[in-house]
Formats: sequence, structure tokens, C-alpha cells
Amino acid sequence: MIGASISRWTMSYFATAVAWLFVALAMMVAGMGFPAADLTSPDTLVLVHVMCVGWLSLAMCGALFQFLPVLVAKPLFSERWALPALGLLCAGLASLLAGFLVLGGRLPAWLWLLPVGAVLLAVGLGLIVVDLGLTAWQRPTGPARFVLVGLASLCATIALGAVFTFALAGWGGSTGETILAGGVPLHAIAGLGGWLTLTAMGVSYRLLSMFMLSPDVDDRTSGTTLMVGSLAVTVTVVGGLLAVWLSSGLNAVLSIAAVLGVAAAALYGRDVLGIFRGRQRRRLELNTRMATLSFASLAGTAFLCAALFLTADFPAHVGALVFLAVFGWLSGLILAKLYKIVAFLTWLETYGPVMGRTPTPRVQDLVAEGKASKWFVIYYTAVWAGTLMLLMGQPQAFRAAALAMAVGVVGIVREVIRTRRLAYVAIPLRLPGGARAPHLLFASK
Amino acid sequence: MTEYVDVDVRPILRAGGEPFSVIMSALESLEPGQGLRLYATFKPVPLFAVMGDKGFVHSERALDAGEWEVLFTPAAKQQTAAPIATPTFDNWPQPTVKLDNRDLDPPEPMVRILAAAEKLEPGETLSALLRREPVFLFPQLEKRGYHWLGGFTPDGATYQLTVRAPS
Repeated sequence: MIGASISRWTMSYFATAVAWLFVALAMMVAGMGFPAADLTSPDTLVLVHVMCVGWLSLAMCGALFQFLPVLVAKPLFSERWALPALGLLCAGLASLLAGFLVLGGRLPAWLWLLPVGAVLLAVGLGLIVVDLGLTAWQRPTGPARFVLVGLASLCATIALGAVFTFALAGWGGSTGETILAGGVPLHAIAGLGGWLTLTAMGVSYRLLSMFMLSPDVDDRTSGTTLMVGSLAVTVTVVGGLLAVWLSSGLNAVLSIAAVLGVAAAALYGRDVLGIFRGRQRRRLELNTRMATLSFASLAGTAFLCAALFLTADFPAHVGALVFLAVFGWLSGLILAKLYKIVAFLTWLETYGPVMGRTPTPRVQDLVAEGKASKWFVIYYTAVWAGTLMLLMGQPQAFRAAALAMAVGVVGIVREVIRTRRLAYVAIPLRLPGGARAPHLLFASK
Repeated sequence: MTEYVDVDVRPILRAGGEPFSVIMSALESLEPGQGLRLYATFKPVPLFAVMGDKGFVHSERALDAGEWEVLFTPAAKQQTAAPIATPTFDNWPQPTVKLDNRDLDPPEPMVRILAAAEKLEPGETLSALLRREPVFLFPQLEKRGYHWLGGFTPDGATYQLTVRAPS
């Protein structure tokens, strides 16, 4: 089939991802992990991986299963791999988290849980990387190039992470020990900067210009952004491993990577401004308005990175920096786009088969933007307040901010569920003859 | 060896025209066993499905400046059946409806095309101008038994789509 059909398991990925997000928020409200515990503590490792694997990566994969075929105008290589991959990822993540709890002494000494978790995650993500990679490779232009670099970064992230788990279990040999001792920043930057950020950037180019009726960003313009971003990740991983191997310290490598990373964020900002300037749609939908708050958070992250770098405060505040990147930039963008994607896919699945034959609602009839906007505002305000509390060293006040974030996310998720259930569509239009209500957690064949 | 008839639709495409009728009339004039050598300013992917239905296999080659040469070769088992014309694609009439959906918010272009397509009489066609390749529309058209052809104009700013109702 030419074109893009509805991805069957995207909703399942989104639902699972949101469940993990609630786990992370509950941990922060309860004061588990950073900032109550040290940044490198096992509890913090649990929190970070719940966020980055459970929430961000699953949501990103779910979105890519749907939108990568749109970016390349080719069908997904294999739809059938998506569900087994989701099972492997959840099992792998659970095993990995249990392994971290072992490190913290909260479980008996079953250190093998760590490598088992890593292997399961590697197989699950491997399936996804092959599936998405082969799909993107059919037309590696425009935003699809970002996805390919993102997938390559994901491979580097998994490889480093797997080495860590084998080393922690005592099976890594001296090489594993060396990489574990110095390589954690490389793993984090490849994951957050390479995989999540570059992929989010790539997908956002198309989504933004599609929703705002703006011309696509020229391939050469976005190519510069991608090149600088890829260079930042390459310098980090390749240069970083070399520095670890030579025991020369990571400062020089990470300084170069930081400069390149800030430059890539600035170039991306330029591209996004271009999309906004070239738009034909004057009135912006909620998802785009809220995405601008996420771009502001990315700008804030870049600014904070530069400021900490210049004042040599980096080690003390790296937690606040990562927090702003993860919750303000990445989570904010994903939540905003989730709101639109679920509405659009639900509309397409429910009304596509009868469209043109009977009156059907518009996509906008599936949402109540006025109700949703306050939850987004609460969420972003809480994220920024939380960042400030971290910078000011106020862990108790941070928990209050985390609670406000949780309130915002509950509100947003409730709105998304109401959209999926067609709750906002006027009854006479809701299910015209021949239309079937969609399932909450997957799309029907 | 298959003998190929050359059809160069690049001038039509460059002038912003719709090349479909030219391709179809060339196809009608083919002798049994003859193939078609098509030159286009883009890779005419939608045409592959149409020609596949008519019993042609294709092989494409990228030329300079984004242009393509595509060889449509009659599939072996179809050769004997070729004189028995398949009625579906023999002759696409001029569009009954012309839509300019370029300035509509998505997914309104798709809604309008499906609404207009439902009103077509059997075998009639509609044409539509769009900003983007309507990737979500294609599965809907396919499910309803419609055929379509489409591609970007050389400047890449407009996607031209022709949809034909099942006859």
C-alpha cells in the first residue's frame, strides 16, 4: 500500500509511556532519587531510566511508528514487530530497575538482573531500530535524516548502557570497569542529546510546518543543524571513549560537545523561527502554542548550559540542567504533540471510513482546548519552578513542584482520554452510521 | 527483446500540466508485447500501481536533476491476455470536479476530496491541488476501490492528484 495507514500499536505505546511517567512523578513527589539522593545514587538511576526509557523513549517510538511512514511516504517496514518490542522493553526496563534496587540494597544481591535487563532492552530496541531504520532508509531526506542519526545514537546509548550493566554485575572485565568508571556522561548525552533530542527535532520540523501550513524547512538549512548536532554526539561518544581509554579526563571532550550542542540548539531555534514566520495559519492550535513553551525550555537549557560552563558551576547544577531538558523540552514537547496526535488519529480511525458519505466532525471537535490549556500551563510553570528549586538547593520545595507537575499531567492525560473516547463530540455526530468507536489502547485493523 | 515506445512527459509537468491522459493514450496505442519508456520530472510512484494492475512490471532509473526514466515492461503471463483490455484504466476522462485545496488546514483537503469522490459517477475523475502528498488519504481511497495518480510539480510546491471512481 502506498501512503500511511494508522499504526496499530501507537496508542499502546503512548498509554504504557504515560504509565511510566506517573511512576516517575510519584517517585519525585515521594522524594526518591535526585535531588533527595545523590545524582549517581541507585535511586536516581531508577528515576532517570523510568523517565528516559519508560516515558520518553516509549512515547517517541510510538510516535515514530505512526509518523516515520508519513515523513518518508512509505509504509512501515513491519507493523508486527511493534508489540513484541513493547513487551521486551517493559520486561527489560523492569529487570534493569530491579537491578538498580539491588545496587541500593533494596533487593537481595541478584546483580544478574542488570545485564538481563540490558539484553532484553537491547533486543526490544534493536527490533525497533531495524524496523524504523529500514523504513527511514527508503527516503533518507529531510526530517527522516534526523531520525536515522537519532537511531544511531540510540544504538550507541544501548551499547554503553549494556557494558555498564555487565561491569556492575562483575562480568565486564577490566575494559568494562574502565568504561563504567568514566563513560556515564557519554551514555547520558548520546541518549538525551542524540536519540531523544535529535529525533524530536526532526519530527517537529514536519509536524510544525504541517499544522501551521508553512513550507518545509529547506533540506540544506536543516542539514546544517543536523550536522552540528551529530558532531556534538559523535565528539561525545568517540572522543569520550578515547579519553576514557587514555585516562585523560573528559573535560576537554565535554567542553567541545557543549559548545556544539548549544550551537545546534541555536540553529534549531533559527529553523523553528523560520517555520513560524512562514506560516499561513495565523491562529495557532493549543499543541503548537504549548510546543513554544517547550522550545523556550530548550533555549533555557542551552542558556543554563552556557552559564554553568562559564561560571564553572557545571558539576553542582548538572541535575537541574538535565531536569529542565527532560521535563521542559522533551516531555513538554511530547505532551503537547500527544494531545494533537491522539485527536488526529482517533478522528482518522473513527471517521475516515465514512468520510464524504455522511457528515463527520472536524478534528477540532474532538478536543476542548480551553479546558486543556490550564493543565499545560500548570505543568510548565511547575517544571520551571522545579528547575529553580533545584538550582537553589531546595529539595522539599522541589517535591511541591513535582506534585504540581503531576496535577498538570493528570489533567492533560484526562483530556487525551476524553478525546479518545469522543466525549467532546456532539452526540448526533459522534457515531454516524458505519463508524465505530475506537479502542482506548490500540487501533483496530 | 521488448520494444519500448518513448513517452516524455517532462515538458507537460514543467508547464504545470497533467500528464496522465498522454500516458494513457500512449498505452492504448501499444502493440501487444510492446513496453513503455517514460521520462518524468519525479519518480511516478502512484503510476506503478496503476501499470501493475494493467500487467506491466516497472524498472526505474534516476537521471540527473531529480528526473527519472521508467521502463514499463509487459509481464510475461499478461502478454497473451493483453488484447483483452482490462476496462479499469483504459481511458481516464477529463476531471468532472477540480479542487484547489492548497490553502486549507489539514485534514480538510482529505475531507473534501473524499466528499467529492463519493459524488462521482462510475468511471469519472476529479483533480485536486494540494500542498503535501496526502499520505493518509491513499489508504481511504484504496479501501473504497478508487484509483489515483499524483505527483509534485517540478518546483515541489504543489501536489497534483487525480482520483477516478470505480467503474
